[in-house]
Amino acid sequence: MTSLARAQEEFLERILDARGTAPSQGIEVYRRNVRASLGGALAAAYPVVRRLVGHAFFDEAAIRYTCSNPSRSADLHDYGGSFGAFLEAYEPARKLAYLPDVARLEWACHESHHAAGAPAFDLAALRRIGVGELGEVRFRLSPATRLTRSSHPIAAIWEANQPPRDGTPARLEGPDHVVVRREKLVVRVERVDAAEWTLLAGFAAGASLDAASAALAPGDAQRVLAASLARFVRDGVVCGFAMPAADA
Amino acid sequence: MGPPGLPPGSAGIGLRAPHYAEILERRPALGFLEVHSENFFCAGGAPLDWLERFRAAYALSLHGVGMSLGSADPLDERHLASLESLVRRFEPALVSEHLCWSSFAGRHANDLLPLPYTEEALDHVVGRIEQVQERLARRILVENVSSYVQFAHSTIPEWEFVAEAARRSGCGLLLDVNNVWVNSVNHGFDAHRYIGAIDPGMVGEIHLAGFERAGELLIDTHGARVSADVWALYGAALARFGPRPTLVEWDTDIPALGVLLDEVRMARSHLAPVVPASAQLA
Repeated sequence: MTSLARAQEEFLERILDARGTAPSQGIEVYRRNVRASLGGALAAAYPVVRRLVGHAFFDEAAIRYTCSNPSRSADLHDYGGSFGAFLEAYEPARKLAYLPDVARLEWACHESHHAAGAPAFDLAALRRIGVGELGEVRFRLSPATRLTRSSHPIAAIWEANQPPRDGTPARLEGPDHVVVRREKLVVRVERVDAAEWTLLAGFAAGASLDAASAALAPGDAQRVLAASLARFVRDGVVCGFAMPAADA
Repeated sequence: MGPPGLPPGSAGIGLRAPHYAEILERRPALGFLEVHSENFFCAGGAPLDWLERFRAAYALSLHGVGMSLGSADPLDERHLASLESLVRRFEPALVSEHLCWSSFAGRHANDLLPLPYTEEALDHVVGRIEQVQERLARRILVENVSSYVQFAHSTIPEWEFVAEAARRSGCGLLLDVNNVWVNSVNHGFDAHRYIGAIDPGMVGEIHLAGFERAGELLIDTHGARVSADVWALYGAALARFGPRPTLVEWDTDIPALGVLLDEVRMARSHLAPVVPASAQLA
C-alpha cells in the first residue's frame, strides 16, 4: 500500500468512527461534517418518518444508522435505501410497527422522483397484436413506478403527513397495496386493491399477461383486466410492452 | 479546449433548491449560476427539468463535490460517465472539481478531505486531473479546499502544491478566497503569500463564502456573509489576477435570495474598478 493510501485509510477510520472523543478539534469538525451530510440525506429522503417520530428521535436513529451503514456513493441521493430495514430492528422504534413500511414507501417515492422518464405508451402497437397473442404480452412498468405493500395503512399515514396536513390519517387499518408513480414530474402515491397490485407485481417480475393474471382469482382477473389495466396505461404506471422473441 | 468560459467580470451565485422558483420568476441579473454536479446525476425527473429551465436563462457552471480526485482508489467510472453526460447535455461554461479526496476503499465521507502535501500526492492528483480532462475533452478548474488538520508528513506548502498541480496538469484554478483565509488562520500562514504564489493565468474562477468561528478554528460553513477579512483578500486577489468570474456560495441556514444578491452586489463593487468596460456583463 502506498503511503497516500495508508494516510487516507487511517484518516477515514478516524472521522467515520463517530463514537468516543475525537483525538483533536480538527478531526471533530470532520466527524460533524460527515454526520451532517449523511443525516441531512436521510432527513431529505424520509420527511414523513421524521415528522412521525420527531426531530430528536430521528437524529439519534440517523446517527446509529450512519455508524453501521457507511456511504458507498459520492451521490448523497443514493444514501439511505436500507433505513426501513434498519428501523425494523431498531429497539426504540419497536412500538411503531408501521414505521419501517412507511420508510420503505418514502424510499420508493425518493427513487421515483429521480428515475428516468418514459415515452408515451404505444397504443397503436398494442392494437396490432392479434387477440390470440395478447396473453403473451409482457407489460413493462415505467422507470418511475414502484410497488410496495404493508399490513399497516401506510398510504393513509403518508398522505396525512404531507404539508399542510395535520398528521391525522383518514384510515387506521391496513392492509395497503400501494403504487408509486410519477405524473409528469410529480410523484403520486396511490392505494390499489390486492388484485391490481398482484397483477403489477407480476409485470414487474417479467411475467406475461396470462401468467400475471393466473395469480388472480377468476372474478378479480376479469375485473382487473377490463378496467384497471387501461387505467394503469393511461396513468403511466405501465409504459410499454414486449413480445417474447420468436422461437429460432 | 471546450467552450469559452465566462466574461471575467461575471458574478453569480451557487444555486440552491430554496431559491429555484424565485430565481425563475424574478430572473435577477446574474452572470452565471453554479450547481453541484452530483445533484443532477439522476436519470430524470424534476431535478433535470429544473436545470433545463435555468440553463435556458443563465450561463451555467458545474461544480463537482464527489470526484475524489486525490483518492488512492481508482477514479469511479460510473461517476465519470455521469459527469460526462451532464456536461454533454448542458454545455456549461465552467466545469470544476476539488483538489481533495473524499473516499477510500469504496467508503465515502461525502466531505472534502485534505491531501498530504507530498510529491507522491502531487504526482497522483496530477495524473487524475489529466484523466478527467481527457475524458471530458476540456480543461477543468480545481478548487483549493478548507481544512482543519494538516498531515505531519506534508513537505510542500499548500500554495505551492495547488499551483504545481495546475501547472503540471494544465488545469485551471478555482481559487476559493475564503478557504485561503480559513486555512491561513487554522494553520498559521500568510494568506497574501498564498495569493502571491498563484500565477494569474491559472485562475479561472473565484469563490466567496462565509465562515464561522469554533474555538481556535475557523469553520468553512458557507453559512454566513463574507467576512471583512475575506473581502480585503478578494480585493488583493483581483489586484493581482485581474477580474475573474466570481461566485457567492451559501449552503447552511440558507437565507433569502436578497441576501445573496447583496453579496453579489458587493462582489461587483470589487470587480468594477478592475473590469474593462467592454467586458462587463450583468
